[in-house]
Amino acid sequence: MSADTMIREEVVPVNRQVGLYAYDQVDRTFLRERIDQFRDQVARRVSGELTEDEFKPLRLMNGLYLQLHAYMLRVAVPYGTLASRQVQALARIAREFDRGYGHFTTRQNIQFNWIRLEDTPAALEVLAEADMHAIQTSGNCIRNVTSDEFAGAAADELLDPRVHAEILRQWSTLHPEFTFLPRKFKIAISGSPQDRVAARFHDIGLIARPGPDGRPLFEVFVGGGLGRTPIVGTKLRDDLPEEDLVAYLEAILRVYNEFGRRDNIYKARIKILVQALGAEDFRQRVDTEFSAMDRARYRLEPALVQAIRDRFGVPAFEPEGDAPALLAQARKKDRAFDTWVRTNTHPHRAPGYLSVVVSLKPAGGIPGDATAEQLDLLADLAERFSFGELRVTHLQNVVLGHVRQDRLYEVWQALSVAGLATANIGFITDIVACPGLDYCALANARAIPISQKLSSRFADLELQREIGALRINISGCINACGHHHAAHIGILGVDKRGEEAFQLTLGGSGEEDASIGQILGPAMSEDDTVDAVARLVDFYLVRRDGTERFLDTYRRIGTAAFKDVVYAPA
Amino acid sequence: MVDIRSNRRDAGGRSVITANRLLDGIVVWRMKDGAWCTLISDASLIPNDQVEAILDKVKPEAQSQGVLGVYGVQVQEDEAGRTVPVTARERIRAFGPSVHPEFSPQDFAAENRTRESSHVG
Repeated sequence: MSADTMIREEVVPVNRQVGLYAYDQVDRTFLRERIDQFRDQVARRVSGELTEDEFKPLRLMNGLYLQLHAYMLRVAVPYGTLASRQVQALARIAREFDRGYGHFTTRQNIQFNWIRLEDTPAALEVLAEADMHAIQTSGNCIRNVTSDEFAGAAADELLDPRVHAEILRQWSTLHPEFTFLPRKFKIAISGSPQDRVAARFHDIGLIARPGPDGRPLFEVFVGGGLGRTPIVGTKLRDDLPEEDLVAYLEAILRVYNEFGRRDNIYKARIKILVQALGAEDFRQRVDTEFSAMDRARYRLEPALVQAIRDRFGVPAFEPEGDAPALLAQARKKDRAFDTWVRTNTHPHRAPGYLSVVVSLKPAGGIPGDATAEQLDLLADLAERFSFGELRVTHLQNVVLGHVRQDRLYEVWQALSVAGLATANIGFITDIVACPGLDYCALANARAIPISQKLSSRFADLELQREIGALRINISGCINACGHHHAAHIGILGVDKRGEEAFQLTLGGSGEEDASIGQILGPAMSEDDTVDAVARLVDFYLVRRDGTERFLDTYRRIGTAAFKDVVYAPA
Repeated sequence: MVDIRSNRRDAGGRSVITANRLLDGIVVWRMKDGAWCTLISDASLIPNDQVEAILDKVKPEAQSQGVLGVYGVQVQEDEAGRTVPVTARERIRAFGPSVHPEFSPQDFAAENRTRESSHVG
């Protein structure tokens, strides 16, 4: 397999969608054939020709899980970018095949919790009509590649990572060598020095930047991860040239595929292999494999990269004009709008534009849930205000990437009507939570109710602003889909003889200062945990130095003082 | 699906038999006549020492009965006399996601019963 067969080079399509790679007939034919194949597999399962043991890996390869109450369909959102017509397709699935809502996950996917097995092929057809699918959202393969939600928009971005994310998507899709890896494999890519993709907590994390000649260079982290054994990734390369990106990643995957453990599911991720071999030994094995490869076959030639880039639509930004002045006037006139602009927008590279973060975390709400009506509204807003493009964040919010500043007030008003204008991005109520025991067959405890209690308790916006940046992440089990280890305050649900209990971890970060939260002490009940978080916050407010974040104060003071706040008798 | 955390068999205790329905994954409970229902209140209560024998009989029939993942769930009576699983996990299976009470099997029972009748042999 070579780069030019793994990655297709075609003529520039007409009607390109901003921010998205344009599918061609090959993609669409493949999806149709795949759905036909799955429809036949479903029929054979229903008839009894296939047992559940035989069918399970087949349905998982199509994103269909069996959870506590029903089947769940996980839909891939490649590098977190959606066209408005795709969001409309998701709304249709929520409405016609589910119970009126979807749930955005911590890996930029969306899940539907009430899908009927019989309906799944039809739901997949709706997705395929919008150039979407649910492939590689499960199983021991390379999963959906995630990226920066501000890709192609952020003022601090050095390089738009989506072109290379697409190259990796094409390379990894149904890669014959990597369909049955020892375990699942997750890749994230960013083009900004501000790590918004948790690159150091992925099997492979890539940070792109332009090299001296303008061509991209990549920092390559490997063996990071959360779950049972949280590990910050090891930097393997500081300056991997673009032309070797596919070859080098293939070399990493080959080493993992050969030496990764298949005898113990808890030791099968690449992070365990890297730790077992040691970073230097692992690096040498990758280098040996890399040196032995026919690099010419894998080389990413500039023309090939450009061909991929050409299939992405590019926004036609209007001149700045008086957009900033009009925004300033609106902010002055409406205090609630001003508050929202301060918290829910992100600096844009184009003068006169901002990126908008739409919070899916209303007070007392379910993090990441969106109703069909809200999805339709978001699609409409994307169409009217952001070149028809929407992004999903791994923190379970959505982003309108390119909104003109003088149209921001209209966007905010529309969001307000739909209950989507909570001004809490980065604050204590911007909580990440996995589905937990309310849905998940693996969970030990519910994650959503505790997040609802916390977001209700800290709902006051003045209080949230006073507290400042504080990340709470909640996982319902040690698999850590809620990324609790990477939070300033992490909450982990555990099972105590059939009852739910919660452990606190403190001091984690998923950003460029990545660190793993440390367990504070014994597990507590749900209500005691909520009270404990409140005491931790009070303690921080008393002990913080100037503008320190909670994380900074924790790192300065250390665990013991915070532990006393939670466990010492009053 | 079968979960080791739910397989408690305290001496003198009672259990019910559960599964998920093949066509839609909905949680079902085995009744006295061997049919499957969506409400745990309609399930047949079995002494714990008989659970394994019943599972041995029922599991091979799962496909023909339109269910999968058959296993036993220990239960107790709550203060109101309701049959309630002893573990949090099985209580959520029995009564639906706590964050969407409108989706509890009790509220969706009528629709589920209609569908069940066409799926369970």
